[in-house]
Amino acid sequence: MRAVCWHGKHDVRVDTVPDPQLRNARDAIIKVTLTGVCGSDLHLYNGLIPGMKQGDILGHEFVGEVAEVGAGVTRLAAGDRVVVPFPISCGECWYCKHDLWALCDNSNPNSRLLEKAYGDTGAGIFGYSRLYGGYSGGQAEYVRVPYADVGPAKIPSGLSDEQVIFLTDIFPTGYQAAENCAIRAGDTVAVWGCGPVGLMAMKSATKLGAGKVIGIDSVPERLDMAHIECGAQIVNYQEQDVSEALHNLTGGRGPDACIDAVGMEASGTGIAGVYDAVKQTLRLESDRAGALRQLIMACRKGGTVSIAGVYGGLVDKMPMGAVFAKGLTLRAGQTHVQKYLSPLMELVEKKEIDTTFLITHRMALQDAPAGYRLFREKHDGCIKIVMDPRAPSRRAH
Amino acid sequence: MESIRSGAGVPGRNRRQKRINVGRSERKASVIGGTTLALTGLKSFTSKRFLPGLAMVVAGGLLIYRGKTGHCDLYQAIGADTFHSGHSGLRIEKVLTINRPPQQVYEFWRNLENLPRFMQHLNSVQVTGEKTSHWQARGPGGLSIEWDAEMMDDYPGQQISWHSTGAAELPNKGTVEFTAAPGDRGTEVKVCVDYYPPGGAAGKAAAKIAHAINAQQLEEDLKRLKQILETGEIATAEAGR
Ligand SMILES: NC(=O)c1ccc[n+]([C@@H]2O[C@H](COP(=O)([O-])OP(=O)(O)OC[C@H]3O[C@@H](n4cnc5c(N)ncnc54)[C@H](O)[C@@H]3O)[C@@H](O)[C@H]2O)c1
Ligand SMILES: [Zn+2]
Ligand SMILES: [Zn+2]
Repeated sequence: MRAVCWHGKHDVRVDTVPDPQLRNARDAIIKVTLTGVCGSDLHLYNGLIPGMKQGDILGHEFVGEVAEVGAGVTRLAAGDRVVVPFPISCGECWYCKHDLWALCDNSNPNSRLLEKAYGDTGAGIFGYSRLYGGYSGGQAEYVRVPYADVGPAKIPSGLSDEQVIFLTDIFPTGYQAAENCAIRAGDTVAVWGCGPVGLMAMKSATKLGAGKVIGIDSVPERLDMAHIECGAQIVNYQEQDVSEALHNLTGGRGPDACIDAVGMEASGTGIAGVYDAVKQTLRLESDRAGALRQLIMACRKGGTVSIAGVYGGLVDKMPMGAVFAKGLTLRAGQTHVQKYLSPLMELVEKKEIDTTFLITHRMALQDAPAGYRLFREKHDGCIKIVMDPRAPSRRAH
Repeated sequence: MESIRSGAGVPGRNRRQKRINVGRSERKASVIGGTTLALTGLKSFTSKRFLPGLAMVVAGGLLIYRGKTGHCDLYQAIGADTFHSGHSGLRIEKVLTINRPPQQVYEFWRNLENLPRFMQHLNSVQVTGEKTSHWQARGPGGLSIEWDAEMMDDYPGQQISWHSTGAAELPNKGTVEFTAAPGDRGTEVKVCVDYYPPGGAAGKAAAKIAHAINAQQLEEDLKRLKQILETGEIATAEAGR
């Protein structure tokens, strides 16, 4: 089959690789019909996540059709259309039982690596390095999905792949980021990053009762989208002083909650200690304005800082004094997608939230290398790319 | 006189089995010293030095207790172990919480033939009698060794301990305790294994295998046990472990 494979920093290729096989009784093989490129994939593309090897198959946002199920799968059958959450979760451990799916105890065969780096492990993730289990991803014609009765949700007939694909990741991620803000009616929520995650966080914050949302970014098309699609007031951090702008937009109080939808690549964070290789990579990256530091400084007293952007290691110059003095609440983490899948699917089905506005580029999987470049450079108004594994390439190779 | 080794686990002697962690000569000294201390403490009550006296009685009592039972809670609390440290054995200990009731975890373990499903260094365990079994372990480079083992303690839902018998190539003993975790968290499984690799050329294979078994390995074994009991299978990714 054809699959998008990682070959190094800024080097992804579409390779021909063996089809995935059932390995455990609870596995299913999914024939992928649509797959997305995520901001998290950019962290891999930019070489910031250790534990990648040449040939690893990328991709954790995908929908498809069940092709084959293992003997232990009872809820799914061949032919079912499903959306698959990006965290791989067993459904049986204490964390899964407590709706903390992304913290699953059992799904990461390389748990010892994360234990060394963070003190404990998280769930395995499709196509997200050996740290997160070494599972092949879904930017491919087929993908193996473990614990198939637990994660995948059937797609109600009448909904297209495009309408549901963001339930795999960025819609729940934006929603969880907003939910973590414990929004009360009329609250102001400021969101750093107007990428797909930030935009979904803004939509969700409004849905959860925010009176005002503010979007911060520097890419004009993204700021426009925040304004037009999410009703956000916008701040261009390259043209304006963010803290002053937020001060003025909130009567001098500061936002009640601040969401980080940027992650490690704005704030120049890095992993120290265990993964020297990464440390070196990080030294080569320029330290962009620390969004997280800004969040902490801008947030109102007693407010919440909600971190959806991915961080990998250590952050320098964290204004811990401000966290303490202002009595801030910090919430963070990978998204417990399984927890949100069915309520959010319902919102989509009832047409209360439509996430298709994010899709700016539809491509053939075959054109993934160009897609990654485009998404990284934020060229051509690119906000979200979805790829069809079976469409013919539109480019000359 | 009852030897310390077999005294480590006479089944049924006390329901809540405690490990021996006080050495033989220290145990004798404990009984004598404890008695003296307790008597001195009692005497001091008459001279109205009540609190120090009480402290001496309590301390004396503790000493007598550990002398008689070979178990010292204080040693346990600080992780000291005067019985085993005298031996050239390798001790590995690990604890892991499994989201299943103690009885279920115990039962899985009690069927010793299940052990190779999650213990990577084991080729097979064969149950040969009510309390006896035959173990076969593998090591680096296709090495393989065997031994017979006997179960010493078997407290359903609580504890199992075993030791190798006869001329084992790799003398060893182990204990696994199953304790209900607080709240709805399942079972805390605590494993403690001692290996006594023999010296000399004859013991080379055994020593190699013994050294390949380390705490990290045991932890990975326990994770596999957890996966089997919680999810019914062992997590497997394309990239391998
Ligand atoms: N928590 C989770 O489970 C989860 C899930 C999905 C994505 N993520 C993470 O969320 C983050 C965003 O994902 P995305 O898909 O929207 O990525 P993206 O790259 O499309 O968006 C990031 C946006 O942040 C903007 N930005 C950069 N520096 C900034 C700064 N200093 N201030 C304000 N804006 C800044 C960029 O211009 C860009 O528009 C990534 O870190 C991604 O890994 C987390
Ligand atoms: Zn993602
Ligand atoms: Zn789990």
